[in-house]
Amino acid sequence: MLGMSRAGLAERWTLFVGALLSVALGVALVQSSLLLLISAAQQSSDDAAVPMLGIVLGGAVFLAGFVISSTFAFTVDQRRRDLALLRLVGGSRRQVRRLLLGEAVLLGLGGAAIGVPAGLGVMAVQTWLMRRFEFVPPAFTGEWRMWILGVSVGTGVALAVAGVLVAARRAARVRPLEALRESGPAARVMTAGRWVAGLFFFGGALALVIVAPHGGPAGGQAMAMNVAMPAAVAVVAFGPLLVPVLARLVPFGGGVLGSLARANVRDARRRSASVAAPLIVLIALVVGNTGAGESFTASGVDEMARSTHADFVVEGTVPARPGVATVSAETSLDAQVVTGSGEDQETTDVTALVIDPRAYAVVHGTSVDVHGQAVARGPGGEVSTSGSVRVRLPGADLGELPVVASVPEMMSGGASLLLPPGLVPAAALAQAPTRSFVALAPGADASAVRADLARYGPVFTAGDWLRADAEQRNSTNDKVMLVVLGLGGLYALIGVINSIVIGAATRRREFAEARVTGLTRGQVVRSALLEAYAVTGAALLLGTVAASAAFFAVLATTSAVTGSATLKLPWPLFAAVAAVALTVTGVTSLITSLSATRRPPVTLLAARE
Amino acid sequence: MTMTPAAVALHGVSRTFGRGPSAVTAVDDVTLDFPRGGWTAVMGPSGSGKSTLLHCAAGLERVDTGRVLLGSTDLTSAGDAELTTLRRTRIGFVFQSFNLIGALTAEQNVALPLRLAGKRPSRSVVRATLDAVGLADRARHKPRELSGGQQQRVAIARAMVTRPEVLFADEPTGALDSTAARTVLDLLRAMADAGQSIVMVTHDPGAAARADSVVFLRDGRVVDRLAGADARGVADRLAAWER
Repeated sequence: MLGMSRAGLAERWTLFVGALLSVALGVALVQSSLLLLISAAQQSSDDAAVPMLGIVLGGAVFLAGFVISSTFAFTVDQRRRDLALLRLVGGSRRQVRRLLLGEAVLLGLGGAAIGVPAGLGVMAVQTWLMRRFEFVPPAFTGEWRMWILGVSVGTGVALAVAGVLVAARRAARVRPLEALRESGPAARVMTAGRWVAGLFFFGGALALVIVAPHGGPAGGQAMAMNVAMPAAVAVVAFGPLLVPVLARLVPFGGGVLGSLARANVRDARRRSASVAAPLIVLIALVVGNTGAGESFTASGVDEMARSTHADFVVEGTVPARPGVATVSAETSLDAQVVTGSGEDQETTDVTALVIDPRAYAVVHGTSVDVHGQAVARGPGGEVSTSGSVRVRLPGADLGELPVVASVPEMMSGGASLLLPPGLVPAAALAQAPTRSFVALAPGADASAVRADLARYGPVFTAGDWLRADAEQRNSTNDKVMLVVLGLGGLYALIGVINSIVIGAATRRREFAEARVTGLTRGQVVRSALLEAYAVTGAALLLGTVAASAAFFAVLATTSAVTGSATLKLPWPLFAAVAAVALTVTGVTSLITSLSATRRPPVTLLAARE
Repeated sequence: MTMTPAAVALHGVSRTFGRGPSAVTAVDDVTLDFPRGGWTAVMGPSGSGKSTLLHCAAGLERVDTGRVLLGSTDLTSAGDAELTTLRRTRIGFVFQSFNLIGALTAEQNVALPLRLAGKRPSRSVVRATLDAVGLADRARHKPRELSGGQQQRVAIARAMVTRPEVLFADEPTGALDSTAARTVLDLLRAMADAGQSIVMVTHDPGAAARADSVVFLRDGRVVDRLAGADARGVADRLAAWER
């Protein structure tokens, strides 16, 4: 069987290039992320570096699995006739499965052979990115370890074999008689598995949309950010039904080429769905998650702006001044909250603010009644609103303190603990930064007061400060998202290229038939291009549908948390992604159809295997 | 009628495709014996069900009712694993479109059924089989480097390498020019003379005339049977049934 696998790979290499590249990229990313993860855990680096690398590692495995398995599924569908032939001359189901597994092992080894050296390049890029985004100090380097060779080869083989398992099961059910049909009644495209997966993930996305508004600011955001993925998988599962219908709505123009392209999209629904699938995932992930992130940031800024009744924010301690009605000076401390005891003891790092409760209430529009030996739960949540907590500050243990009050949780978070004055020893406060929210007295001259305040520290208008503050809070998240989304985008594009290349490789004969019917080579290529654009258009539409599920969750969550539904759509990003998608599908279609029509049609039609 | 049991026997076999008003009964209650050691041609107008009949007889197509016996083995009750084994050992196929595996050389294609059966075919057996179809010098060529007639002869070698009880041939000359077709038919004739059971579907009276007997099919039913006729006789009978 291994000999057959080898011969199959050599003969049909165009079908496998994509799968090989996906395996190689998967191996490279896993190797690089793993080495960096270990290096980061050992060297001192930003706390965000390790979780970020963890996310990239998980994402790389998931995406590699997704792309490789869909590539294999498609190649198997394109080779049904070959596999049926093997069954016809006496191949058993097990032998068909073994043939495909053998191919997967060879691809896994090949992918690892390319992926290990490529991983060194990826590591250089990842290290540069992490230094650039300040996840790690400038001196940080990833260290090579010899044992990673074993891990990488194992990863390559495991990814490829896992990717082929479903396809191999499906292939083993190919009936021998299918070898005798020219094209065969294309295997049913909406399989039971697709229905089950589609409905399952649709249900998952729906559940997240329904539950997100009840999850509070942090939980709601997390759930809304996770809607796009299951929604995209659901849409992809129903792709063979949806893509051809939508693709026909794309204006093809009249004429014979338009009607040929339209007929092809309708006829080859499996191929159309395969090209559309990674694009749908790309759009849903990038547009859905970026849109959700930006909307939550905007919603947080709006919420803060509505609840903050201050005119200026000064980075420093402001005493009572002429023209100033209220000053809420807030000193920020890194605190630890300890809950439970003994084995179950848990320590959480939080931010604590030392406040003047009366001034805080005026400036932030929410009463907070805390004094003496007690604390209040702040807008950042993370602490129970009742009972007691043990609070530790650097250099001071405040002991067990009752939580006597709380302010509403905010979209943009903030401090988790509010401490009354007098609770914290002066020594602990000495080095801590203080920020003052200043409300002007009625009729005061704003610019004069601003000039006066400048002697206590940098002065911002409340609006400017809120925006900068929210953006700074979100920047770490955004950077992680950028790295992960960049990775997802790369994989999705590889998936699209795979599908088009595989599709075209099996279309030589169809193209040749069109040419002997009287179409010129240019017309065949143009018709394939039209078809690619129609499918891309449908994919953009369906990706937007999946992204919209995330937007529903965003609207419901922001409305529930802040009382005002907020949605900020990333139009420039959407336009950029659409342009990239159209360019990639267009160029790939052009190259593959030109290459598939290189030989004169008669040589293809005469030489039948 | 000889006393030896039939190579393949069909008893009341029916096969219908589709359901409701669009249902088509391709094979309609056919009872038929294909004699051992003889070459039987199945003829009929297009759509008469001759390919479906062949597929049912070879265990490639499920039958709705009736029984199919290969020697004394009941194909209708055989599972997938048993049918797979039968294809490796007791049945050979030749088709109009050759159906060789493009990635393998002629030699590898011929050796494939033996290798699938877990045997290590000796080079001499494979070469001898290729030699028997006159292609010993083409062993290392891939299918696309061979002419249609040569590819069909490789397909016959592949079918014969397991020494099957029955060779099923579906329009084996349908895609060949008359010279290549004559070579293939001569080959089949020689095999039949040596005792090989052959069941062949064809629409070419010239090809059918080379067989020992011809069965005529119309609307899924056997309507006539002719033995030892020449091409003219077969063509006349076919024309009569097509009228």
